[in-house]
Amino acid sequence: MRHAVRLLVLAFVGLVVLPVGSASATATHLAQADDRPVVRVGTEGVYPPFSFHDAKSNKLTGFDIEVIKAVAKKAGWRLKFVETQFDAIFAALEAKRIDVIANQVTFNPERDAKYGLGTTYTYSRGVIVVKKGTKGIKTLKDVKGKTAAESTTTSWADVARKAGAKIQAVEGFSQAAALVVQGRADLLINDNIAALDYLNTTGRDDIQIVGNAGDEVSKQVLAFRKGDPRLEESNKALAALKADGTLKKISEKYFKTDVTVENTGKVDVSGGREVRSDTQVVKDAAWPMLKKLLIVTIPLTIVSFAIGLVLAIGAALARISGSRVLSAIARAYISIIRGTPLLLQLFIVFYGLPEIGIDLDPWPSAILALSFNVGGYAAEVVRSAILSVPKGQFEAASTIGMGYWQSLRRIVFPQAARTAVPPLSNTAISLLKDTSLVSVVLLTDMFRQAQLAGANAQIYLPIYVVAGFYYWFVCVGMATFQGRLETRLNRFVAR
Amino acid sequence: MTDIQQPSNDMGDLRVRARGLQKSFGDNHVLRGIDLDVKAGTTSVLIGPSGSGKTTILRSLNVLERPDAGTIRIDHVEVDFGTLPDKGSSARQQMAALRAQSGMVFQAHNLFPHKTVLGNVIEGPVQVQKRPLDEVVDEAKALLDQVGLSDKADQHPFELSGGQQQRVGIARALALKPRVMLFDEPTSALDPELVGEVLSVIKDLAAEGWTTVLVTHEIRFAEHVADQVLFLDEGVVVERGPSSQVIADPREERTRQFLQRILDPA
Repeated sequence: MRHAVRLLVLAFVGLVVLPVGSASATATHLAQADDRPVVRVGTEGVYPPFSFHDAKSNKLTGFDIEVIKAVAKKAGWRLKFVETQFDAIFAALEAKRIDVIANQVTFNPERDAKYGLGTTYTYSRGVIVVKKGTKGIKTLKDVKGKTAAESTTTSWADVARKAGAKIQAVEGFSQAAALVVQGRADLLINDNIAALDYLNTTGRDDIQIVGNAGDEVSKQVLAFRKGDPRLEESNKALAALKADGTLKKISEKYFKTDVTVENTGKVDVSGGREVRSDTQVVKDAAWPMLKKLLIVTIPLTIVSFAIGLVLAIGAALARISGSRVLSAIARAYISIIRGTPLLLQLFIVFYGLPEIGIDLDPWPSAILALSFNVGGYAAEVVRSAILSVPKGQFEAASTIGMGYWQSLRRIVFPQAARTAVPPLSNTAISLLKDTSLVSVVLLTDMFRQAQLAGANAQIYLPIYVVAGFYYWFVCVGMATFQGRLETRLNRFVAR
Repeated sequence: MTDIQQPSNDMGDLRVRARGLQKSFGDNHVLRGIDLDVKAGTTSVLIGPSGSGKTTILRSLNVLERPDAGTIRIDHVEVDFGTLPDKGSSARQQMAALRAQSGMVFQAHNLFPHKTVLGNVIEGPVQVQKRPLDEVVDEAKALLDQVGLSDKADQHPFELSGGQQQRVGIARALALKPRVMLFDEPTSALDPELVGEVLSVIKDLAAEGWTTVLVTHEIRFAEHVADQVLFLDEGVVVERGPSSQVIADPREERTRQFLQRILDPA
């Protein structure tokens, strides 16, 4: 058993720590050779054909990605991509977690007042998409009272809202399309290019474009913070790219026409991405997901659980201690953690704390929020486990001369563990699954990877089934470990 | 160790000297000024009805209870509980030093269930006294032999009978080489047929010259083994003296009634 644990730790170190170590070593090496300024680019990664992951290489690519890369080349920047859902993207820009948004940000006066918007690099039209056979929705006038699936902070959501539609909030285009297909929303309004790409990639005929959402041409721009000098640099770069034909080339690669100038709205996305079978989609996604499971989901669970357990023991001892102050602090901690959603805790750590000067990267943010969460839940488990050890054991430890900590470590904890292991295992298993929330702090875990793969292929069921299988498989492993641990801890108890 | 009082007055042949012990639990005044003298190498037995305070005296000697007032001296370590600070490292050190003078055997043995018999015995010497493992293991094996359990060293407490468990408890206390052994009703939780094996170990210890203080209801055993018997009632010592006096020929009415109830319950 002890060997098994040691092996596990070794395997963990080999799998996780070493690659991370060498990766950071490579990064430093590059940093030494490269003194260009770093510009962090916020993008969805799930908005094909503008921003998505290539099915084969799993690399981030797309029209917007190639445009910003070309801009960076001209402007002399080094890019760092940060992927997040669109509804968190402006918050991330304001919180200085990213410097620019390259994700088909549509120009409008409200945004223009708040952000530093660049020159137009895409002209497009909004279209209304409905399930095939839907009657009575053809123009914006028909949208009133209907339900539109939109990311709430997009300009398309504004268009739908102004036309009188109810908004069903989603996390991206592909989710919106899925809701319309499933009949859970009546329509969606989005960029004609995105809609055409969806139809082309999925080969679906149960969803259709019925018409334009208004007559206005919408213009997409890069968004910086107000007053950022890099806005001017990007405008200059875009002008140069337009002049030398680079923009046209990128556009024609994706759309067979130049959308970077005023156009008819007719695009052909058929050459963009290959249509893959479900089996191929799952095959392509399985390894990247497994990789994220091994280097993000599982390590995050282990580290957060370990720190959380220390916090739980501290809180439990504070609750038991005679000190009213300590006990009150521990009570408050437990109550707050258990009384608020984990999602909110993640948002507070990542988007809230920077406002008071505590600016943590995604990994530390996720570990902080998760371990405090686990600590709050496990504290009561640990407390009742300690109290389940008979008082005579404390006395016997005292009588042979042990102090407080020594009694706890050598006499009380080993016995309390027996009571604590089953409920703590529950906590650990919940934690594993709770890590699926960390994409909101811009960490790409296994579930986020599944969403990326699903969005790219516009196929969800098989990919989510694979994700579910991965989680389940790890949980079975944890349950087996729990069983062995219980057997081991019960060996000194009369049966 | 500078905080620990080194009394200059001579103890003579006394090993334990308690003066004026007071203890209350809430409104319940359990000890009302107890004096206790125990000569080195002798056996003292505390008897009395339940609630009389005899167990509290024993627990006070081992500082499992902290008396509200009074002094306890065991060998060269003396603590005055009336003037001892409520908390702080000095108070903790003094109490730890006094506790280290005595070894305690509980009614409910309180063995560590997750450790083997040998593990229970060596835990204190190795973990607290930081003595070398080999030496301690040799001594522990000799102690287990002494209490007749040399073949049980590698078993866990749950595998033993009640009497065997209690004998391990005795070996665990002896391993720390205390200046006085304290037994708190060591046979009360045992089946009648297991009482004898535990009492015979205690008798052997007394014969070997260990200083012991024993709380028990085994009056016949007390009469046989005790150099001194104290009868307690309602937190005071009602009568004290050699067993031939206190048990065989008590002077006090309360002692007489108690003994009659115990020895002839029908």
